[in-house]
Amino acid sequence: MFAESLTHDPDWAWAPYEPDDRRPWDLRRVGHLYRRAGFGADWDQLQQALSDGPQRAVEKLLRGGPDAAAFNQTYDQYEASATGSGSADALRAWWLRRMIHTPHPLLEKMTLFWHDHFATSNGRVKNARLMHDHVRLLRSHALGRFEPLLEAVSHDPATLLSLDCQANRKAQPNENYARALMERFSMGPGHCGQQDVREAARAFTGWFVLRSRLRYIARDHDSGVKKVLGQEGDFEGKDVVRIVLARSATPRLLVRKIYRWLISEAAEPADALIEPLAGSLAEGYDVSKLVETMLRSNLFFSPAARRRRIKGPVEFALGVVRGLEGMVPTMQLGEDLAALGQDLYHPPTVKGWPGGRHWINHSTLIGRSNLAQALLAGAKPYGAKLDPLAVAEKHGHSDPQSAGRFLLDLFLQGDVQADVAEALLKTAAPADADPSRRLRRIAHAVVTLPEFQLA
Amino acid sequence: MSHTRRDFLKAALETSALMSVGAGVPAWLSRSARAAASNDNAGDTILVVVQLAGGNDGLNTVVPYEDDVYHRNRPTLREVAEQVHKIDSLLGFHPQMQAFMRLYNEGHLSILHGVGYPRPSGDHAVAMRDWQTARPHQTNCQTGWLGRAADGVCGRGQTNVPAVFVGQIPRPLTLNAETAVVPSISSLRQCTLHTMPAPADGRAHQHRLAELARLPREQRRPTLRVGARSVPGEKDPLLDFVRRGSLEAYAGSQRVEAAARAQDSAGAAQYPPFQFARMLRIVAQLIRAELGIRIYYTELGGVEPGGFDNHANQRHNHGALLRQLSESVAAFVHDMKRDKLLDRVLLMTFSEFGRTVKENGRRGTGHGSAAPVFLAGGKLKGGQVGEHPNLTDLENGGQKFHTDFRRVYATALDRWLGFDSQSVLGDKFQPLDVLREHL
Repeated sequence: MFAESLTHDPDWAWAPYEPDDRRPWDLRRVGHLYRRAGFGADWDQLQQALSDGPQRAVEKLLRGGPDAAAFNQTYDQYEASATGSGSADALRAWWLRRMIHTPHPLLEKMTLFWHDHFATSNGRVKNARLMHDHVRLLRSHALGRFEPLLEAVSHDPATLLSLDCQANRKAQPNENYARALMERFSMGPGHCGQQDVREAARAFTGWFVLRSRLRYIARDHDSGVKKVLGQEGDFEGKDVVRIVLARSATPRLLVRKIYRWLISEAAEPADALIEPLAGSLAEGYDVSKLVETMLRSNLFFSPAARRRRIKGPVEFALGVVRGLEGMVPTMQLGEDLAALGQDLYHPPTVKGWPGGRHWINHSTLIGRSNLAQALLAGAKPYGAKLDPLAVAEKHGHSDPQSAGRFLLDLFLQGDVQADVAEALLKTAAPADADPSRRLRRIAHAVVTLPEFQLA
Repeated sequence: MSHTRRDFLKAALETSALMSVGAGVPAWLSRSARAAASNDNAGDTILVVVQLAGGNDGLNTVVPYEDDVYHRNRPTLREVAEQVHKIDSLLGFHPQMQAFMRLYNEGHLSILHGVGYPRPSGDHAVAMRDWQTARPHQTNCQTGWLGRAADGVCGRGQTNVPAVFVGQIPRPLTLNAETAVVPSISSLRQCTLHTMPAPADGRAHQHRLAELARLPREQRRPTLRVGARSVPGEKDPLLDFVRRGSLEAYAGSQRVEAAARAQDSAGAAQYPPFQFARMLRIVAQLIRAELGIRIYYTELGGVEPGGFDNHANQRHNHGALLRQLSESVAAFVHDMKRDKLLDRVLLMTFSEFGRTVKENGRRGTGHGSAAPVFLAGGKLKGGQVGEHPNLTDLENGGQKFHTDFRRVYATALDRWLGFDSQSVLGDKFQPLDVLREHL
């Protein structure tokens, strides 16, 4: 962890932000909101949010556009037909497409969060249809309540296969799911003993995944009494879920994880900051309420949160694509993002994607620059659909100097030192008879700045 | 001028906050970076692991040409005394492996006999997984041994790439890590920065950079001056971290380009025309570029079941693979030797199992158990390690092992790389005494 410590007063931290002279509602705050609650914004969205003010802007992101449900249904159908091939490459491409076009980017951002949290991987499941069902399940609860989500995941074939828990019989209880449930999905490590895991495993006996289908075989279920975390009863799986949800470690773990996802990964927040939110979450496990509190808060809109995350590869690439109001071939993008360490549908291990500093090494930085070059160069494999000059001109900047500054504002909203910005505009692309080519080079220079790697 | 990378970075970060990898770091900065980095990485040892997929027939690789049992069990597949390259009075290399014979005689190759593990699996996927994870029989293990090694060296604030896979198949499980992002490289182009399309007369831009390079340092500063409050350090650790990484990435890209240019010039080392040799050549170039990568992983034989899996008509196919293996590794060893890098390199080969002693009715062999592991490098004791397992006391039709493969891994981790083998392997395994000098 870095040295910064977060000792804010919790009442102030979580109270809703209201603009004032010292903390105006400006482009920087708007950009920050869109980076965290989505995958970045285009110029119109930034301007609209600026004029809406923080309450309305957050509201829109929480609810999504009016056609969000229909949009998602359509995409579900596309994905379902893509699973025929068996490989998850097409699924990966569809999800990226969805993230780019969705009227409800916050829903996709939180679906991605849960995908990382449960870390079910097609590398172990090897079944695109089951993975499609799994992510649909995550999406349906992503901004809902955690209890039904956890119950559903406990009986999800993809999750069981991913954890090598497709056979759990009375004579030989399989602890893999129970361990993951208690140590990864809810309370976290160190909050239960080996005995609790063993007993919890007994509660889940009788559940199998056979020929890619979930099956319950009653005679293989151990209906005896189990002792889990101090409670006793002839528990089934859903009872164990209920028990772990009642432990205070569970809401704390979730709040900390969502804090890292939405607010900051630069410093571990003090317990005092987490407690009020954990207490709230424990009553009903309403994730959307937690997310709303965080997104509306003083802390969220303060310098303690701005540029305090490192963009994962998906956020990095989509920030470029959404900013430039275009579309790109997402099969290729899925592959390129996998090379940068974020292979959708394939978290590397049960611990998900550790993220943060781990996204960054020499190879991934070169990879990001080369991906940006491929996206912006106007040639194969991404084509010329991302056109910085067209976007700049659309928003009234046909003069080369002002077009360059426009790109800086579009992508960085002022989160870059003035002298760095000046030096970039001077050296990135000096005199070029071709204004489109020149602006592409400036765009590339902007998105490869260290500042742009921070969310 | 010689100074450490830390000095260089401190100086660089104080003078320039512009680290846009795309805009290009000024030439003088990248030159300093190059110099600093080669000082820092010099002396780092390197491990190259070669995966042979399919189950290599060790018995026809290192041939017991005097053993009647061998000849009786392999009527069509046996190699005869007149054809093999004799190592000693009992064993010889397969006829297609004269390149290994040469390496062996030069003291750059060791043969480790009878390597395997207890209760081995005869199933390709299971056995390969056992070797890749170094956790045999643990079906839920999700990390590879080299992935765990990479995770171990990913320290705070470090942006080095600890390990890479060089090859064209999906990245093998061996390199699956919890936190480290291990790249897959199939061409050097992936290790260099691609430039954006520029005007044909791009020289104007290059002149600017060259001018910047020639100016005395004080005069360079105004162009890239940093605002008063932006001296990096405690203020913005995340940004500094990414800046540092960007600078080093840029410098690394320059070094790879330089290494590639050197290779293209006359007098560069020659490699045979095999795909596998091309991958080893890439490994050599990355080593020369001193990027701080400690572990390279490559493969011959492809995906499951793997090219070495010869259940029928083994002779020709196996001979071809052995030729590819030996000639490519020999070319790599001689390449490293020319550049005085061989003393820092240890290469090892492995396969998921050996083959049955008795050939089947289709001029092929079934899945066996123990097989030899080869080591190549500049600091080997050379020769043979361990007894050649006899051909009468068998396990499932194959030779029995006497040396656990995790001892080979422990040797590489503890004694060569200076990593903690116990945390990677989950247990203590006694290293082998195969190195002339070691940590």
